[in-house]
Amino acid sequence: MTIPALGAYEFTPLDGAAAYGDDQLVIVHREDPRLWFCAAATFRAPRAMPFGEFKAAMIDGWCGSDPDYDPAAATDWRVFDEPLDVDPSKTLAELGIGHKALVTFRTP
Amino acid sequence: MKKLSMRERYNLLTRDLDWTPSYVDPAEVYPFSRYEGIKIHDWDAWEDPFRLTVDAYAKYQAEKDKRLYAVLDSFAQSQGHLGISDASYLNAMKLFLQGVTKLEYAAHRHFAYLARHLDGPGPRFAALCQSLDELRHAQTQIHTLSNYNKYYEGFHSWPKMHDRVWYLSVPKSFFDDAMTAGPFEFLTAISFSFEYLLTNLLFVPFMSGASFNGDLPTMTFGFSAQSDESRHMTLGLEVIKFLLEQDEANVPIVQGWIDKWFWRGHRLNALVAQMMDYMLPKKVMSWKEAFELYFEQQMMQGLFPDLAYYGITPPRHVEHAILEKDIVSHQTYWVLKQFTFAAAFHTWEVDDDSMAWLSAQYPDTFDTYFKPRLLKSREQAANGMHSYFLGLPQLCQVCQIPMLFTEPGDPTTICFRHREYKGETYHMCSDGCQWIFDREPEKYIQAWLPVHQIYLGNCGGPSVPEVLSWYGVEEGVDNHPYEVSPDRKSWDEWHAAAGVAGK
Repeated sequence: MTIPALGAYEFTPLDGAAAYGDDQLVIVHREDPRLWFCAAATFRAPRAMPFGEFKAAMIDGWCGSDPDYDPAAATDWRVFDEPLDVDPSKTLAELGIGHKALVTFRTP
Repeated sequence: MKKLSMRERYNLLTRDLDWTPSYVDPAEVYPFSRYEGIKIHDWDAWEDPFRLTVDAYAKYQAEKDKRLYAVLDSFAQSQGHLGISDASYLNAMKLFLQGVTKLEYAAHRHFAYLARHLDGPGPRFAALCQSLDELRHAQTQIHTLSNYNKYYEGFHSWPKMHDRVWYLSVPKSFFDDAMTAGPFEFLTAISFSFEYLLTNLLFVPFMSGASFNGDLPTMTFGFSAQSDESRHMTLGLEVIKFLLEQDEANVPIVQGWIDKWFWRGHRLNALVAQMMDYMLPKKVMSWKEAFELYFEQQMMQGLFPDLAYYGITPPRHVEHAILEKDIVSHQTYWVLKQFTFAAAFHTWEVDDDSMAWLSAQYPDTFDTYFKPRLLKSREQAANGMHSYFLGLPQLCQVCQIPMLFTEPGDPTTICFRHREYKGETYHMCSDGCQWIFDREPEKYIQAWLPVHQIYLGNCGGPSVPEVLSWYGVEEGVDNHPYEVSPDRKSWDEWHAAAGVAGK
């Protein structure tokens, strides 16, 4: 549906991939039926950051405030519901994790 | 000259001062009232809900102001703030001042615009009166709450906070969305959906909360605004009926706006829901009960059967809103609690009495889904640990609330929706917000999402202290749990000295 307007109505998003240069936003959700964390987290990370580093520095840093979180138990990684074959040495870009991608995992 | 009746005076001073432009095309005089596709054939068919003239209007409002300011003076002089239920109550008022007062001012501005740009003199005059009302509401709210600013933290810098703070982008973007729409969509959004459909859920909880918790100034403000609000409600209903009666082609357009703005308003109400259930030391009623009374009974069973005559159906996604009445307050408070370090008000651990009340009010959900994590949070607090969210949350592109909402009927699974648009990804919290995005993607891609802006370095700097400083939040004073706040300390000291037990 087009937006009713008196003139041309076209805009550039404020937070498109281009705005972040070599970095990008990545959204990470820990699946947890207790929902200890109220929502998924948003991170800014270089596209060239290896996944292992991303997890250790960002995801574990975030989840570590929950005493019930075990970093070694994180499993069932997915990107937008598609299974993700986690190779810690591969970069976010190589794993197909793009700007504003939703990465999910579980801790049994 | 004989004394004229109210009706004659009204006609002379409003409609009879109008004229039809003859040497300029009306479309040039009123350039904004046609492009939305709404067809108006007879502006004179507008039924003026209140036949007020400017002099009568000014007289009524001056009398109400006099009464309000007498109460404010007396409350200030008698140290009335010491008599409220508990200082923690004032956090609901901080949220109100930060979230709502600038919306009143925004409404004042936009109704002034409508008072110029609607073709008919009847609706123009109604918009003029409402514009003045909204300015008065903004001013009287500021004066009402300014007394607390002398004794309590967090009542400063609220206009700046409204423009900058993450949770306040929710009400701000809601109103910006309405103001950047055409005049008829604005009227449907604000006059109908906000002021009629959802008004009792928005304002009654705050004003009843004030009355139950000894906040005489806010309660008096509520009374002072009440007669204006009932005029606004009448205007909201009149707008809808007028649009629907003018042309059948208007019906689907109006229905689309009702669908959109019901959901936008419902999402905004998440902040009110948590306030009612968690932030009032003396509870009025649960959010669930208020929702059932003011929305399900009054609107779904009262209003919508009447609107069916015009071909209007209940709002899209209303079934999801009804499912959320059991969960939304608990989920929203948890977000504010986990981000208390970045807020300009306090949250606190939920005590046994409040948990018992919540269990009784929410027998189907509280004990199963929400009590366990509140108990864990309390346990952690007792061990000197907080339950903060050490990161930035994912936000919904449309309502801008952290993506806390769960799948309909499943309170354990977060609801994720997303869309690709022109090569970029956008996330939405619900089917309702996704439907709104899909209608007008070009509008919502412009969203100023606080989290994304922080990551772009536009909010004072990359660290939490820098962002808080840019917000105007004083670290360790305005934020963090109520239990360790200066407000709590002052309150206890004042009451210890007076021999009155604090909380």
